[in-house]
Amino acid sequence: MTDETKKKVEDKILGLVTEYVGKKRFKPIDIVKEMEKEFASEGLTKDDIKAALKDLMDEEKLVYGYAGGSFLTVPENK
Amino acid sequence: MAEEVKKKRLTDIGPHDYNEYLSPMIKNNYGKWAYHEIIDPGTMVHVAESGDKLYTVRMGSPRLVSGSFVRDICDIADKYCGGHLRFTTRNNVEFLIEDEKNVEPLKKDIAAMGYNVGGIGNIVANIVHTQGWIHCHTSASDASGVVKSVMDELYEYFVEDKLPSKVRIAFACCLNMCGSVSSSDIAIVGTHRKPPRIDAERLRNLCEIPSTIAACPTNSIRPDTVDGKPGVKVNEETCVFCGSCYTVCPAMPIANAENDGLSIWVGGKVSNARTKPTFSKLAIPFIPNDPPRWPGVVNAVKTILNEYKKGAEPGERVGEWIDRIGWPRFFKLTGFPFTKYHIDDFRLAETTMNYSSHARL
Amino acid sequence: MGKKHQTPLLDELKKGKWISFVKEIERAAEKSERTEDLLGQVEESYRDKVNHWKHGGMAGVKGYGAGMVGRFSEFPEKYPGIKECHSMRIIPSAGFFYNTDFLRKLADISEKHAGGLLNFHGATGNIQILGMSQVEAEDVFQAVAELGFDLGGSGSDLRTPSCCAGQARCEFANYDTMKICRHLTEEYLDELHRPAFNYKFKFKFSGCANDCVASAARSDLAFIGTWKDKIKINQDEVKNYAKKFNVQKYVLDKCPTKCMWFESENLVIDDENCVKCMHCINELPKALKAGDERGCSILIGAKAPLVTGPRMGMMLVPFYDVNEDAKNDYEWLKSLISNMWEFWDEYGVSRERIGELIGRVGLNTFLEGIGLEPIPEMVEHPRSNPFIKFTEDEEE
Repeated sequence: MTDETKKKVEDKILGLVTEYVGKKRFKPIDIVKEMEKEFASEGLTKDDIKAALKDLMDEEKLVYGYAGGSFLTVPENK
Repeated sequence: MAEEVKKKRLTDIGPHDYNEYLSPMIKNNYGKWAYHEIIDPGTMVHVAESGDKLYTVRMGSPRLVSGSFVRDICDIADKYCGGHLRFTTRNNVEFLIEDEKNVEPLKKDIAAMGYNVGGIGNIVANIVHTQGWIHCHTSASDASGVVKSVMDELYEYFVEDKLPSKVRIAFACCLNMCGSVSSSDIAIVGTHRKPPRIDAERLRNLCEIPSTIAACPTNSIRPDTVDGKPGVKVNEETCVFCGSCYTVCPAMPIANAENDGLSIWVGGKVSNARTKPTFSKLAIPFIPNDPPRWPGVVNAVKTILNEYKKGAEPGERVGEWIDRIGWPRFFKLTGFPFTKYHIDDFRLAETTMNYSSHARL
Repeated sequence: MGKKHQTPLLDELKKGKWISFVKEIERAAEKSERTEDLLGQVEESYRDKVNHWKHGGMAGVKGYGAGMVGRFSEFPEKYPGIKECHSMRIIPSAGFFYNTDFLRKLADISEKHAGGLLNFHGATGNIQILGMSQVEAEDVFQAVAELGFDLGGSGSDLRTPSCCAGQARCEFANYDTMKICRHLTEEYLDELHRPAFNYKFKFKFSGCANDCVASAARSDLAFIGTWKDKIKINQDEVKNYAKKFNVQKYVLDKCPTKCMWFESENLVIDDENCVKCMHCINELPKALKAGDERGCSILIGAKAPLVTGPRMGMMLVPFYDVNEDAKNDYEWLKSLISNMWEFWDEYGVSRERIGELIGRVGLNTFLEGIGLEPIPEMVEHPRSNPFIKFTEDEEE
């Protein structure tokens, strides 16, 4: 996966989570499944998407929430 | 200007190497223990193939402890155990002693500090329990207070060996049941009796509707429109007051001061010895919360223990005793009423009926 | 020092012979003032018969999605000391063995940065430090990490694995529970720190069927020590026991498969019919020992009641040669676990434990998914209803 593709995946993930704040709580696996569909034509693997996800978490653009189960969301102050 | 040297942030370092904490005798005899003997309810000795003897003195703890408590047990372990100690899965402290001469002085020191030595053999084991009102937002009762009240009453059974077998009591303050509560000789479980209250306004901001609906074990939560906006409703006819929805959706609180309380379950075990592991079964569906001493719960546990002590054969756990004498006799002996709540009506309920003509008449 | 809040109800729980948690909270408050407010709030709970914690609110450290549990007081103005009262979970030393140097330092940390209260241990087996605010979390994390300890699991992740004292101090242990527990914790550290599962997943390791860590009642994957060959008998010790108590009545008659009997004074065991329940070995520890071909059984699916009812662990692998697999860093086991997690990822839904998934899709579907063959040890008995779903591969 090129840096460019990774950036594209990250933007897509961030857009998805932001759009659904308050409506749907995404678990990491939900996001991986969505992105696999989204980028099917580009042959991205689960591990590629997981790597993009980890970047977003390390940069704290995505954070964990918990309500009975864990999910990913955008930080509250944003 | 000199820049402050920034320490590297530690992360993902993983579990600590336990080898650092094993005493020399344990390291020398690792995997080479021959047998153990229980000396008294507070003391046992493990004998290695090499002939080495490791003495263990067990001491009760309330699980929730202060830093000062930790220093107390460290003082003891430094004085008698070369600084080595461990905890058990039931929250006891175990002092590991390599020199037999230290056993009695250690026990004397613990007693002088006001701590309890016991919990080995045919005893009431330390009660494993949850956080309760001290630290949990879903609790239907306090945990530590009930446990303290029960253990005060059963104290003699922790320090003396006078039961047919070991009795493991566990406490959970709600149906989440943190801990192996559902398979204990006697289980005390926090119970709600009223459906959740829906705060429609907060629900819109705080909760995801599909996961809230999915949280219900009896499909009692349905989508609803409240003031033209999406929300949920609860079918109170089928709700079993489990609190699972509240775990997922903070806008559905279920705690209710007048209606929350405790239920008592009996006859479970996790060991495979003799009989297979089994869940505890309902003895008393509801006892109101009665802080600070919960006399209703204490009396119920005492009643079960007394009948068990009178009726069980040596070596029989509570569940094995009840299996032998039958549930009708259990209810007769304890005086607990058998009610409609004792008949299962959840998933797999059918498997719990008596499909035979067997009855002790 | 005068008490900040009057606690007449809690004071009742300072009486009696059993060690008092109220006294422990008071002792903690002497070192960490904020804990005075905990006493105040809990006293209100005792009066009102209801807990006073808010639901929700996050706490955590950077990079991890687990290891801290957020807790906020319902009355932050009245009890500012516990406005935030989070707890931090710390992976214990396997078998809960410690030395005093570590414990003293941990006590210091808990008093300096938190409420001076600890759990030894929480229900899953973590050490817990209670009563810290979010701004203190990083300092506590780093202080604990300096001591060589990491945070434990919480949320939808691999929960902190735990084990019995095993071979460190028990003759019954059929495999090295502490070694495998530590190894798998290290192996799956990412799964532990960064929740990515449908729900929680627990490993527990017990050295024998006495199951001192209750693995079969409370872990998704339970490892219970067992053996394959003959129980070793020391006939002289059997005779010694027979002089002390009624071995026939209390040992032989209680054997679940009646696989042992006396021939004259000698004990005979039909090992093929032994189910390794441990009863006879428990009762005659000097006389009987497990055989030499040791390993463990793997049981799957145990869980507490929520959401669809409690489950006990069910037999998946009757004999796993853990001692042999240990030589290859548990390669066989890791591949099995990876298959399971993939299946669970693919077919499980939110908050569905793996046992519930198996209940929903059926054991056969699950076995196919993870690549194991059905064997009779997995069931109590074969099906008694005739609703068989024949599949096309049978028709050839």
